[in-house]
Amino acid sequence: MATASLPIRQEPRISAGLPRVGEFMRWSVDHKIIGVQYMVVALSFFFIGGILAMLMRWELLTPDVDFFGDGAVYNSAMTMHGTIMIFLWVIPMIGAMGNYVVPLQIGARDMAFPWLNAFAFWIIPPAGILMLLGWLVGPAEAGWTSYPPLSLLGHDGQLLWAVSLHLLGISSILGAINFIVTILNMRPEGMPLFRMPLLCWAVLATALIIVLATPFLAGALTLLILDMVAGTSFFIAAQGGDVLLWQNVFWFYSHPAVYIMVLPSMGIISEVLSVHSRKPVFGYRMIALSSMSIALVGFTVWAHHMFTSLTPELRIPFMITSMIIAVPTGIKIFSWLATIWGGKIHFTSAMNFALGFLSLFLIGGLTGVIVGSVPVDIHLHDTYFVVSHFHFTLYGGGVMGLFAGVYHWWPKITGRMLNEGLGRWHFWLTFIGFLWTFLPQQIAGMMGMPRRVATYDPSLLIYNQLSSLGAFVLGASALFFFYNLGWSLARGRVAGGNPWRALTLEWATTSPPPPLNFYEDPVPYPNPYGYGSDAAREYLDEQQRRFPAALEAPTDEGSTSASLATQPAGTSAGSSAGTSAGQQQ
Amino acid sequence: MAEATAHAHHGPSPQEQAENIKFGVWLYLASEVIIFSVFITIYAMFRAQNPDTVFHVREELGIALVSFNTFLLLTSSWAMVMGLRAIQAGKQRALMAWIGLTALLGTAFVGLQYVEYTELAHAGVAINNTNASVFAGFGMRFYTPTAFHGAHVIIGVIWALWVVWRAWKGRYSTENYVGVETFGLYWHFVDVVWILLFTLIYLV
Repeated sequence: MATASLPIRQEPRISAGLPRVGEFMRWSVDHKIIGVQYMVVALSFFFIGGILAMLMRWELLTPDVDFFGDGAVYNSAMTMHGTIMIFLWVIPMIGAMGNYVVPLQIGARDMAFPWLNAFAFWIIPPAGILMLLGWLVGPAEAGWTSYPPLSLLGHDGQLLWAVSLHLLGISSILGAINFIVTILNMRPEGMPLFRMPLLCWAVLATALIIVLATPFLAGALTLLILDMVAGTSFFIAAQGGDVLLWQNVFWFYSHPAVYIMVLPSMGIISEVLSVHSRKPVFGYRMIALSSMSIALVGFTVWAHHMFTSLTPELRIPFMITSMIIAVPTGIKIFSWLATIWGGKIHFTSAMNFALGFLSLFLIGGLTGVIVGSVPVDIHLHDTYFVVSHFHFTLYGGGVMGLFAGVYHWWPKITGRMLNEGLGRWHFWLTFIGFLWTFLPQQIAGMMGMPRRVATYDPSLLIYNQLSSLGAFVLGASALFFFYNLGWSLARGRVAGGNPWRALTLEWATTSPPPPLNFYEDPVPYPNPYGYGSDAAREYLDEQQRRFPAALEAPTDEGSTSASLATQPAGTSAGSSAGTSAGQQQ
Repeated sequence: MAEATAHAHHGPSPQEQAENIKFGVWLYLASEVIIFSVFITIYAMFRAQNPDTVFHVREELGIALVSFNTFLLLTSSWAMVMGLRAIQAGKQRALMAWIGLTALLGTAFVGLQYVEYTELAHAGVAINNTNASVFAGFGMRFYTPTAFHGAHVIIGVIWALWVVWRAWKGRYSTENYVGVETFGLYWHFVDVVWILLFTLIYLV
């Protein structure tokens, strides 16, 4: 690779060529291959988890158990939906985004430990299959929180569930160690911590939480597995165990895990909002530090999940810490608003999803303040209000951010643009379908509809039917997304090195990048978000010459041959063309 | 641990990669500390609430054997440090001898722990003791952390033998001994955890 860069380094380049499909099917230590592997696995499980959600909403069209035939089947669908969406979709998706983008953003050739990186990924498919195999031996039914004694009464599938989760935890700890070392030790000259792209800050905060919180889950699962197979009784009250022990240890992991799921998306939208509104990030330092403080304070709030089971004296302290979390989150929200304020906003799909994140996550955060208040929570706990709340944070926040990330970096990963028209369909159906699904659940919850059961009081029928219809719209929206991915691979326009004219380093190479990422040692632009200056314009124009959008269009009938000014479908003028760059700075 | 040999021309230098590896091992040990802390906290809570049960167990079980065993493990840590010093001075054979001694002492530790488990089992301390026994609830809270620690010792012994094998192949030198160092970090960690467990379970 070293020899290749010298003779042709002045030649304009479009693409290093996508690796062949076979490369993605086998062991590879290239972080870009591994990133794609994570993404494909995560998207597959997103599809499975989504189907389960659709089945559950179908069941809930009527107040009685009919579709599933047995409430236990509903319970297992609910358990698997929750577990899959959290541990096999959102968390591996962080591995996908982090793996592909982070080394590129810090100008590294690969992660610090490439072999370990591959190993961490290859734990996931067998663990996921193990979890699905639970269906053959009687699936897990105790919910994703798996509270004893319920989780100790179930079938063998519950054991497979626990073992699978244990493996996924190991994978995520190993991945996180890799991220921390890579981000802290492998930045190039000229990129001190406080000049690092905000996605890297977010992944760093996430990885620190994973290393320090996931072992709690590992400890708790070890004990749960021992209770199942070795005759211990850590969680069996009748034999000297303690059921609250599980709740404490589990939530000591799982509340920080909420931030594991949303912090990377916060990093993603920090990038997207700045790039697609052509403005420097407002309050860079505060966004970076608020990620770290969310990570820190996140460890002190776990018992707000246990307001109804814990010693009453502990309620108020945990209510206070929970409220404190709203402060760094609020700092982020206002910084993002100030970032796009007065900017030249390009309503690309990535931007739409980032704005969707802002509005939906805000509702998620505010409902969090509501359920974080002890007196209200006594009434609302274990109702659909809580279901609605955490879907607003994890779907409205986490998943919307991940979609923004996919639309933003897909051109870098594949070298081809996604279809903006399909992207808009995807966004609006998701946005409307989401509100349609989860707003009625808030009302049903306030009226007392308990979560996790297949039946409900007939007076709540209308809210459930509304919610189910919305869910089907939401489900359909994902089909537009999947179709768009396939469309792009087959017919998408050639993206060029830097279709969004972004300043971070991942764009300072071809799309997709060559095996060791860069053609020469990358020099970071001093301010990763310094949009709007002449210097930035010149830097980007020079980049455009070296990594043009298209020199020739091999298979794509849509783009003009030998044109440097190919414009990605649906983006506003100037987002790809070097010649019209002045307009958008 | 990964060695980015394929990336020698582009990636971090050997020194930088050695720093990366050590940092990575520290982070890994941080996560281990947390798993152990779960088990240790559970034991400590039991100890505080059931002093009589612990008293019964101690009556059954002297402290002589476990003290000797602790001495073995501490000695093994010393041997490990001597091995590291040997390779820093470029002495391959001394390295192999000292790390071999580390592995031997680790094996002896596991063996004696097995002897102690057998004694306890004869006395009736089982992992599934229920309310009926005078040892009720002690077994699982004792065996889980100590066996988890024992598993770490076994893995450490395997790791030590791997270090010896690599030393025999001549993979370490005065410049390149990060493989010995990371094993040392792990082994010290295993030692420190044992000192905590020993103090909490046998002395306090």
